[in-house]
Amino acid sequence: MNCSSLHRVNKFYHFLMACMLFIFSTMAFSQLSDIAPVTDDTLNNPLPGDWLSWRGNTASWGYSSLSQINTDNVDQLQLVWSWAMDDTGAGEAAPLVHDGVMFIPAPRGVIQALNAATGDLIWEYRPGITEALEGSIAAAVPAEERVQSVMAATAYAGVGRGVQKNIAIYGDKIYAATENASIVAIDIRTGRLVWETQTANPELGYFYVAGPIIADGKLITGISGCGRYKEDVCFITGHDSESGEELWRTSTVARPGEPGGDTWDDLPLRFRAGSDAWIAGSYDPKTNLIYWGTAQAKPWARAVRGTDADALYTNSTLALNPDTGEMIWYYQHLPGETQDMDEVFENILVDIDGRQSLFKMGKLGILWELDRVSGEVIKATDIGYQNIVNVDPVTGSVRYRDGMIPRIGEQIDMCPSTSGFKSWRAMAYSPQTSAMYIPITLNCELATFGPTERELGGGGTGPVRRINYPHPDAGDNLGELLVLDIPSGEVKWRFRSRAPVNTAALTTGGGLVFFGDWDRKMYALDAENGEVLWQTRVTTSAQGFPISYEVDGRQYIALPSGTSGASWAASLPRQLASELKRPRNGNAMHVFALPEK
Amino acid sequence: MGKFNFVISLLLVCASTSPLFAQTNIWDGVYSEEQASRGQLAYRANCESCHGSNLGGNSNTPSLLGMSFMFIWEGRSLAELYTKMRENMPSDRPASLGTETYQDLLAFLLQVNNFPSGAQDLKANSPTLETLNIIPAP
Repeated sequence: MNCSSLHRVNKFYHFLMACMLFIFSTMAFSQLSDIAPVTDDTLNNPLPGDWLSWRGNTASWGYSSLSQINTDNVDQLQLVWSWAMDDTGAGEAAPLVHDGVMFIPAPRGVIQALNAATGDLIWEYRPGITEALEGSIAAAVPAEERVQSVMAATAYAGVGRGVQKNIAIYGDKIYAATENASIVAIDIRTGRLVWETQTANPELGYFYVAGPIIADGKLITGISGCGRYKEDVCFITGHDSESGEELWRTSTVARPGEPGGDTWDDLPLRFRAGSDAWIAGSYDPKTNLIYWGTAQAKPWARAVRGTDADALYTNSTLALNPDTGEMIWYYQHLPGETQDMDEVFENILVDIDGRQSLFKMGKLGILWELDRVSGEVIKATDIGYQNIVNVDPVTGSVRYRDGMIPRIGEQIDMCPSTSGFKSWRAMAYSPQTSAMYIPITLNCELATFGPTERELGGGGTGPVRRINYPHPDAGDNLGELLVLDIPSGEVKWRFRSRAPVNTAALTTGGGLVFFGDWDRKMYALDAENGEVLWQTRVTTSAQGFPISYEVDGRQYIALPSGTSGASWAASLPRQLASELKRPRNGNAMHVFALPEK
Repeated sequence: MGKFNFVISLLLVCASTSPLFAQTNIWDGVYSEEQASRGQLAYRANCESCHGSNLGGNSNTPSLLGMSFMFIWEGRSLAELYTKMRENMPSDRPASLGTETYQDLLAFLLQVNNFPSGAQDLKANSPTLETLNIIPAP
């Protein structure tokens, strides 16, 4: 072949590549140019094949009514596609699916849109790198003046381990909250930035790990990073979804001089820390209320933070008007909590015999049933593993057991450890079985709480000398999927595993419950009796929020894996199940379906 | 006996003037400024995401400063702290950094907790690491 023919081949090759690129980009664009806008109605009444809220519906059930995959055929599940997410932070992804497109929240603010049937990438948004959408609010701001900077490129630099749990979808946008304490709107068709608004100064420790939800057209988001002493407290905000304008801001800590302000004794605002809103809430269109949890007070121990008082609105469930942020009611689960026993987690809204209930469980393993109109306790069910408090099952009132309020420097023997029995791994509700499926980590701790500086910039959790040990009721097992009948609270069945159960639970209309453990195993169990019907292993620890969806009549199960996250998520298995090993990387999405006929 | 006493006295004099024995206190400057600077860079790359940009900790990660640091580590040896770092940190990929990096990180931890620097780098294989206890300022 002479030079001129080589040149012609090269030209032809470039032409071919350009054509392919054009066809590919046109295909990708055409797919998303057809995507239907998400309305309030579609959010509140999602199609069975979509997964539009971080837990499937606005009531946070973690349930898909799809039944193509069921107890009779789940053993035939096959991997259809998988996708590696960035390993630049913790993988705790809660993906969404709409119109056959999966939107994945990856670490450090990255969002990717994939064809949910094939796994082909359609677009991706990278903070500080992806251009703003032409003609958008963000495009009017010079790039160097925008809030977002390029996120840290390693998993151990940057802020808060780079966690991005959930995102929201509404209209023609995807919404996310960043580790730079800002909220972003992304164009659903192109992945370009539409607007970004910063809600707090990250230099003071503020950041987001939980993304927004949509309620009555408003964008609702709760902030984290509330431990450090500063002249402000944490909050939940409502934003206009079109413009990004902040509409309201409700503090998660009662300020001096305001209602509840006397529940911190005379501590000034700067020493009222904690109450992070680090898990996204739920929304009930019927009551037009959002339900949001708050975390414990900080420093963790009463003796360290300098007050034995209740410390509102820590460790509470808040019912807020999504249009105004007005607090309609609150229920404080653990007044004056003193051991890092968080109650911030998901709120599952279920109507039982005409009664509008809210179910939730915190680290102590107490299943709370509240009336979501009045906020009154209906029932409190202690699953029986904790040794810290006595709880009245009727009134919900909590009394610390003798010797269980820590004093500085004195060791106490407590179950659970500060990791909790229950954590961010959300439980799921199944209307088929009328039961809650609850991921549990079984462990205890010898804990000695220590002092910290009471000065601006100080505070934090306070130090703890900790020795973890296995729970005496659990033998060698650290993991459990506990299934409680609703509303009786009786144990329906339980599944135990050597490794901690490390994902949220997913229930389906096929009579199944899906979840995974730290040891890379993913399971499908018969939701009625706990029989293991299917099992596989993935790249690294199963971690994140499993979902189910449908494209062109085919049901899929998406199971995320990931590393990093809470420090104890790695340290507990390493100390108490040291024979288990996992890769250091492996954030990924794994999608399964039945064989095509 | 006189000769024995002389030998003991001589040994004591030698010991007190030997660098090995002279540097027996963590407040005598057991790491170098340069080493702590390297440790600061290593901290940013490997530790900051969990322990925070100000080392004050995060929602479930301990502070590495001041009272919190001393509550956990007072009375324990630098060897013990080094081993904890070497075998358990970063929490998701323990023992993944090089020996020099762990040494540098230890130097940085001492610096931010106001232990003074000296002329020499801190070495993990130094026998004095076992005897250097983390103690409050004299």
